[in-house]
Amino acid sequence: MANKKDHSTVGRRDFMKKLGMGAGAFGLGAAGFAGFAADGFKDLDEMMESPLAERKLPFWVKEVDEPTVKIDWENMEIFHGPENTLFNPASWENPQDYMDIYNRNIASTKKNVQDNVPGLSLKDRALADANCWGWGGRSGADLAPPWSGADVKANPKWEHPTMFYTPEDYGVEKHQGTPEENSKMLRSAGRIMGASDMGFVKLDEKTKKLLWGKITFEDVEKGYAEPENNKFVLPNKELWAVCSVIPQSLWMQQYSERMSWASSNTMSYSRANIYGNRMSVFLRGLGYQAYGGDTESIGRSVGFGVMAGLGEYGRAGILVSPKYGTDIRTVLITITDLPLAVTKPIDAGITEFCKTCKKCGEMCPSGAISMEEEPFWGGGAAYQAKGIKGWYMDAKKCYSYMLGGEPDCSRCQTVCPFTKFDEAVVHDLIKLSIGSAPALNSAIRKMDDVFGYGEEPDLNETPWDLDPMDIPLYGLDKSRS
Amino acid sequence: MGLVSWIWFWYVLVGFIMGGGAVIIRNLLRSSQLKLVWYEWILMIISYALFLFMAQTFIASFQEFEPKAAWFSVIFIGIPILLIAVVLFRSLKKRYTKKLNS
Repeated sequence: MANKKDHSTVGRRDFMKKLGMGAGAFGLGAAGFAGFAADGFKDLDEMMESPLAERKLPFWVKEVDEPTVKIDWENMEIFHGPENTLFNPASWENPQDYMDIYNRNIASTKKNVQDNVPGLSLKDRALADANCWGWGGRSGADLAPPWSGADVKANPKWEHPTMFYTPEDYGVEKHQGTPEENSKMLRSAGRIMGASDMGFVKLDEKTKKLLWGKITFEDVEKGYAEPENNKFVLPNKELWAVCSVIPQSLWMQQYSERMSWASSNTMSYSRANIYGNRMSVFLRGLGYQAYGGDTESIGRSVGFGVMAGLGEYGRAGILVSPKYGTDIRTVLITITDLPLAVTKPIDAGITEFCKTCKKCGEMCPSGAISMEEEPFWGGGAAYQAKGIKGWYMDAKKCYSYMLGGEPDCSRCQTVCPFTKFDEAVVHDLIKLSIGSAPALNSAIRKMDDVFGYGEEPDLNETPWDLDPMDIPLYGLDKSRS
Repeated sequence: MGLVSWIWFWYVLVGFIMGGGAVIIRNLLRSSQLKLVWYEWILMIISYALFLFMAQTFIASFQEFEPKAAWFSVIFIGIPILLIAVVLFRSLKKRYTKKLNS
């Protein structure tokens, strides 16, 4: 609860709300809202500190002492537990009744898939499986999926009989679609499963170099792994990399001097692994192979992100998206044999802008980011790879700084002029200028500073004092997700 | 966005300001029996568009937790609006004076 001193302080987050409340109450006074808002309270502060303000309810919802359903607490029977629900055949007087329903469910689900019924077709079932079960709990010991995807059998013992079914289980052919249709389908499914954006790269002699060196190709129908021998094998066939942008919370990064409150940056990895499982289950449900899909099993995320057109290579050595800036983590890569229409690399003037901007380099507390104006052919250290004309960062400085006590540092991501919330129209105009009139880049960088973007946030404000319902779900900013 | 959204309120307020401003300008022009010439129309439309742009940037910057950007947008976009307003006013005043003297 705020103290007296806080009463006189109108924080920037409260600015709109408090002024809005005053003005709104005035405007709606005729409708009686002002009377409601002021009823029993001396001022707005008192109203906001009342127990009612702890859970924000619409004004037409009342808190009552007894629920609206009648309860006989004297004779309330204690329910034994979930095993007594009808999901358990033993709960049925006649277990055969359960089996009849179970078999009908299988038969109807199969028939719907076989008849390609809209909303109940193979791809719908695959997405349902991915959403319902693709959280990792059934795919292996870890959250991350195993190398060759969610290689689990259909589970006939579970109450939902169609869990983890493949086209073979349904008695249908695997999903058929043109590469363009498949890409569209994946992009739609990806949005539901947790990807902000997606791109697709075909693996060829060039792009295979973006895979980790430990990955090899063999003439086998399906890839396999021998983790104990550090051996990871992909089949020698046409393969595509599904590249998925996992969003990072810029909203959360407003709340600490390290600009990554409560690991808002690395929390994206946990979402990424859940997403990877879902994608793996989805592809399996369509009848196709899936490899990798966790945050570190495939290859260079920035490299694939650039090739997939999800962004451009930036000064900090990380991907810069025209929509999300550098505030993304990560580009999650899943390899599949589902034919896909590739997405091309993009030019939004970002790399060109990085030449004059240098803001990430100036703000980096470890001095790891190069301040050279022009990109250069670098590499040579064990933790680097040659082959890119870019700004090779001194990762050792960055790593040392972060392990030295700032593990959530995300300054280079947060201060990037491309990392913005997406409410003000002006950001699109600035991006339009960067993409079409690079002569203005220097002025744009200066204006970014003058307008206060990238400055340290006001640490007097803490998310713990906010109305919980004002916190975006999963911490993800609605304007950027 | 809920039924009662404070963001809506601000945009409605902007609408009232712009609408009210248009009515006032129209009444002033009528009472002085002046009609806008083509370049005055263009200046008027530009200033209205700039005002809308300024208001959107101002409101949205607070939504983005960027109060400094909000106030600087008022300065950077507001100054051109003021300059256009001065040019318009002087142009109208000149014609009005000319009309009175004729």
